[in-house]
Amino acid sequence: MRAKALKKILLASVCTALTIALGACAGDKASDTSQITIGIPQDIEDSLDPHKAVAAGTEEILFNMFEGLVKPDSDGNLVDALAESHTMSEDGKVYTFSLRSGVKFHDGSLVTAEDVKYSLDRCADTSNGDPLVPAFSAVESVEILDENTVQLTLKEPDKEFLAYMDVAIIPASNKKPETNPIGTGPYKFVSRSPQENFIMERFEDYWGAPAHIDRVELKIIANADAIVTSLNGGSIDMFARVSQSMTQQLSGDFEVLEGTMNLVQAMYLNNLVPPFNDVRVRQALCYAVDPQEIMDIISDGKGTQLGSSMFPAFGKYYMEELNDLYETDLDKAKELLAQAGYPNGFSFTLTVPSNYQQHIDTAQVVAEQLKRINVEAKINLIEWESWVSDVYAGRNFEATVVGLDASSLTAPALLDRFNSMAGKNFINFSSDAYDEAYAKAQAATDDAEKTQYYKECERILAEEAANVYIQDLPCFVALNKKYAGYEFYPLYVQDFSKLYLVEE
Amino acid sequence: MKYFAKKLAGLIATLLVVSFLVFLAFAVIPGDPATAMLGTEATPARVEALREELGLNAPLIERYAKWIADFVRGDMGTSYSYHMAVTEMIADKIPVTLALTAISFFLIVVISIPLGITCARYMDGALDHIIVVANQVIMAVPPFFSGILITLVFGLVLHLFTPGGYVSYRTDWARFLGYMFFPALAIALPKIAMSTKLLRTSVLSEMKADYVRTAYSRGNGTRAVLYRHVLKNALIPVVTFLGMALSDMVAGSIIVEQVFNVPGLGRILLTSISNRDYPVVQAIIVCIAFLVILINFLVDLLYKLVDPRITME
Repeated sequence: MRAKALKKILLASVCTALTIALGACAGDKASDTSQITIGIPQDIEDSLDPHKAVAAGTEEILFNMFEGLVKPDSDGNLVDALAESHTMSEDGKVYTFSLRSGVKFHDGSLVTAEDVKYSLDRCADTSNGDPLVPAFSAVESVEILDENTVQLTLKEPDKEFLAYMDVAIIPASNKKPETNPIGTGPYKFVSRSPQENFIMERFEDYWGAPAHIDRVELKIIANADAIVTSLNGGSIDMFARVSQSMTQQLSGDFEVLEGTMNLVQAMYLNNLVPPFNDVRVRQALCYAVDPQEIMDIISDGKGTQLGSSMFPAFGKYYMEELNDLYETDLDKAKELLAQAGYPNGFSFTLTVPSNYQQHIDTAQVVAEQLKRINVEAKINLIEWESWVSDVYAGRNFEATVVGLDASSLTAPALLDRFNSMAGKNFINFSSDAYDEAYAKAQAATDDAEKTQYYKECERILAEEAANVYIQDLPCFVALNKKYAGYEFYPLYVQDFSKLYLVEE
Repeated sequence: MKYFAKKLAGLIATLLVVSFLVFLAFAVIPGDPATAMLGTEATPARVEALREELGLNAPLIERYAKWIADFVRGDMGTSYSYHMAVTEMIADKIPVTLALTAISFFLIVVISIPLGITCARYMDGALDHIIVVANQVIMAVPPFFSGILITLVFGLVLHLFTPGGYVSYRTDWARFLGYMFFPALAIALPKIAMSTKLLRTSVLSEMKADYVRTAYSRGNGTRAVLYRHVLKNALIPVVTFLGMALSDMVAGSIIVEQVFNVPGLGRILLTSISNRDYPVVQAIIVCIAFLVILINFLVDLLYKLVDPRITME
């Protein structure tokens, strides 16, 4: 009796196991809808409200679902999106937008002037301390001139303010923007499952060129070791930022596209703590660190050397000549250290967020390079959250290697933080000359003059050796050869609407 | 009845202690949810406003009391990072972790029990020797490592599954189970080894008991003695072990979930800890504690089934 029962159980279990195994082999489901699965390194653990989302990883995805009156194209130009055209008053104080007619939100309702005013007012809202979008503290008023025209007036003239008009326009009627995002972009939100996926579908009523692929599934691959196996195994078709070493492990099914990350990677120094409060020490570090060697070691020489807080995607603001300011010179470095009172070198703690392998790699090479001038950098890896609270917000650090990105294509996006009074000035940089040049740049109404002053700012940062500037990192995108159309942007965004299936 | 009341009181006390410890832990470790949420957009004014909004400025005890009051009413709060209801988040993930545990438990039972009996029956045979040695090796390998080996062998070499190719149970049940089989195997392997060894020893020692000699003398064959008499007694220590193993597996699946990229409770737990997303961490820990206690209770009931002499006191 017992034996029979046991046998039955065994038989049942073998059957179950077989069913499971067969189920597993069922393989790809055939369907008429086109779809792409894209791996992302961290979940969108954020608000889906485009005005409240803070993580760069969220913003680059929301780019596909939301649009502003204008939006950047892949060359970095601002093109009209929800606005059909715009004009700026002579002095750069008043911006007038005439709205494109017939544009629909994902819920089917039409975009009205009220929605635009609601969205812009919301960004400028100061009820939570600072405005939701910091740049909007400059906004004086938003007025509806007629049902197709909205006028924005600034407190002070600013001819670059258009760059901030890419803030998302959202419907005033949406009660839950944090979890139910409704925008006007080429893709609309379908669902998300924490730590699992984020699904978007093509928005059929999109006003512009529609997306090619019907369905985009973002799959969270939190474990960096799993990226290559997931790509090769076929569970994801694309991954936007793979490392040089990963690209070498990819199978022949993949194409590797190369672009830049659009970050200023540097060893950021706390200018307030000794010995970094001495410009000679900072310069000595610049002379000792060799960016080219770093690029050679960590990414086979790929990447772009930087000499100040500006990267090449910014075009007219970028100053390549600053790269040569500190040609590697160990004797000079030692001499400067001696002058500053450190003839035998010193040691400091180099804090690095542990989730960014590219910054850890750079920090390790920097530490080796600094040994040549008897300076010991003790690398301390900390969680990203601790980095934000201790290093960034608390400014309690000596030096750190990170990459800073630009939230918009304006020089202030990179330069504003080095104002001595800026809230984001986590390195405590303080220079009267800088503050003056920056203020002049802001006040200037002539574009050439403005550019001149911004360049002056960059030069001061380089000459004062505010930080040890290193590089704009190379960015490798792994894309299955079944797809094509990936475009790099000079901003931290991913545009899925351009991707398409290659006909076979 | 008295027994249930006692168990229930124990359950509530445990949950209270566990949840308070979690609260306390977060008060001690560095990092602040408001700064974590705002990231590089954090300015002192915004952090302060957000802390106020989240109610983080209230004293610890007050926050804890509020949490309990909400919890009792079935409200586990809203996730700081996802802005979703925590109940919704967890309800979605519990089936994943439970399925993982259930499949591995199933594997343990159907593999180890026949194996243990066979070993005992053919003691000192070639098969027995092989299994005993294999057991020692498997027991020593931690699940995360066997997970990596399984990924390599079954995934990359034999292509029986796609590493990282998790399919949600909501999309396709069969493929979900097909994928979960492998992480479940990683969890089950060391437990199968232990359980087999335990059963083998237990059967062998029971075989020396007096009632076995009596059974033989009444003309029963080895087979009948083994299944009708010995097994019932020999299973008691195994049931104890399986009970412990089961609660261990609920908590232990967290690590294996990482290796196989399975988005279960463990994954959200780990990220929520690093985001300082208290409401989620709190809720998951309480859930896991509850499951562990529940399992222990069920094992107690099972004892009575296996051995009627055990009374519920």
